[in-house]
Amino acid sequence: MRGALALAALALAAAALPAVAGDYHVGVGLGLLMYVALTQSWTVLSGMTGYVSLGHVVFYGLGAYVAVLLWGEAPLAAIVALAALAAFAFAALIGLPALRVRGPYFVILTFGLAELAKYVVIVVEGWLGKFSRVIFGAPDIETLYYIMFGLAAAATLMTFLVRRSRFGRGLLALRENEEAAETVGVPTVRFKLLAYALSALIPGAVGSVMVLRQTYFEPAQIFDPVVSFTIVTMAVVGGSEDMKGPLLGAAGFVLLSELLWANAPQLYMVLLGLLLIVFVLFAPQGLSGLLPARRRTP
Amino acid sequence: MDALLSGQLLVAALVTGALYALTALGLNLVYGTMRLLNVAHGDLVMIGAYVAFWAFTLLALSPLLGLAAAAALAALFGLALYHGLFRRLLAGGKAAQRLEANSLLLFFGVSVIVQNLMALQFTATPRGYQYLDTVYRWGNAAITGNRVAAFAVAVILCGGVLAFLRFHVTGLAIKALIQRRDAAAVVGVNVERVQQLALCLGFASAAVAGALVSMTEQISPFMGFPFTIAAFVVIILGGLGNVTGGIAAGLLLGVLETYGVALTSSAYRSILVYGVFVLILLLRPQGLLGGRRIVR
Repeated sequence: MRGALALAALALAAAALPAVAGDYHVGVGLGLLMYVALTQSWTVLSGMTGYVSLGHVVFYGLGAYVAVLLWGEAPLAAIVALAALAAFAFAALIGLPALRVRGPYFVILTFGLAELAKYVVIVVEGWLGKFSRVIFGAPDIETLYYIMFGLAAAATLMTFLVRRSRFGRGLLALRENEEAAETVGVPTVRFKLLAYALSALIPGAVGSVMVLRQTYFEPAQIFDPVVSFTIVTMAVVGGSEDMKGPLLGAAGFVLLSELLWANAPQLYMVLLGLLLIVFVLFAPQGLSGLLPARRRTP
Repeated sequence: MDALLSGQLLVAALVTGALYALTALGLNLVYGTMRLLNVAHGDLVMIGAYVAFWAFTLLALSPLLGLAAAAALAALFGLALYHGLFRRLLAGGKAAQRLEANSLLLFFGVSVIVQNLMALQFTATPRGYQYLDTVYRWGNAAITGNRVAAFAVAVILCGGVLAFLRFHVTGLAIKALIQRRDAAAVVGVNVERVQQLALCLGFASAAVAGALVSMTEQISPFMGFPFTIAAFVVIILGGLGNVTGGIAAGLLLGVLETYGVALTSSAYRSILVYGVFVLILLLRPQGLLGGRRIVR
């Protein structure tokens, strides 16, 4: 109950932000909501199944590319929805072969896939004679902020619902032991694939919103592996065992990046790496696992 | 078509392939003995390149001598990582299980830290130097002296490590550990010592490869990742833990990359390397030359 109240208070504060704060702080809030949406989505796959994706930027980038191609041709709502669907479809397509690979190999495979996609988009843009694109007449930041707010809320709700469902229990079972889960009747192949596609859905939409915010598209900068790495670090540091973890992780790192990114980006990355190592070694449940345990909600 | 048949491309492919073979040899030793996937492997190549660069520009030390310093530094770094991060965790049963799944994230953290510390220290600007850049002609192929030297050193070192693994008792112990860890311990192999040695040897060969690369190409703090990917392609192609297969696969990747780029354009180089990497993992994770299957 207290958790639900805290969440409602947070949501209210986030919804009121544009009314009370200037553009700069709305921008920071947008970044925070973006990482909440990305990290919550990521936990549906990697937190629940143990298949760690180090390449989630590929869905974000794909969504951004869809948005750039369609901008001016379709209304905003349709663009965001299509970006999400494109990412979902891509994950469903690539997931079938990719999810046969397990453990550390899956991790580097996802990273390699994201890099491959980046270079393919660079070459395609080269064929089209575009080396970077500028977006004219992009929506104002408040509109984008409220869309992102909706995406972050949807992602949080999604992890909550998945965790409570039969599907979520199946995912947890296959994380502990895939063969055993299969034996007791969990359709592992279908469940893994659905988890992968669901974890790609909202990142696709997030990418479309963020590219409209940046008003230009340059593949090497949109498909930045730092985004994937940040998602993983936020989830590991915050914890991916419940929906609280990604909120804590995203808030902590957005704050840290506000303090450091502009002046000392390399120092920020070093801290990111250090925190990742410390939490993997000493607190694999993340910040959320370090908080005093209350009555466990299912 | 003539260009494709010229000696020039073949020489370029062999040089690239030999450097890949040496880099991947190091990754194979670390993976084989410890079952840890070191995604920071390419960053050791980068560190080796910087050591050789500074030894040459500050001390006027030939990179062929600087590579010894690079090897020693990388071996020390390996020992520090072993004692700081992995030893306790490798020993315990349950912790080791968790470690194996998480080791990749640990190494990734190490990689990010090393890259950004180097960028903080030396800026992200690419650097280079001129050494042995006389051009030699041989038939219709022209090749600079530094490439000849890099090729020769890489071949000698690969051969040396192969001979060590085949004939020296410690080398045999490393091979035993790669093939059957439990059985090796039963017949009296000191697992911990051999793991440390293999780790040092693996890190050192990556750093030496880096020192050799610095003679022929520009270096930067973020140059390592393509080498990590190339090394992964090579050891998966050659069969995980199969050292000889890895050397053959290194040469094969060098040929594939050089001829692939010559047939298309250099814009496709990254697509080629990552494409081969993704396809190998998706379609043939047991490697072209057989060997152990990765967990699927």
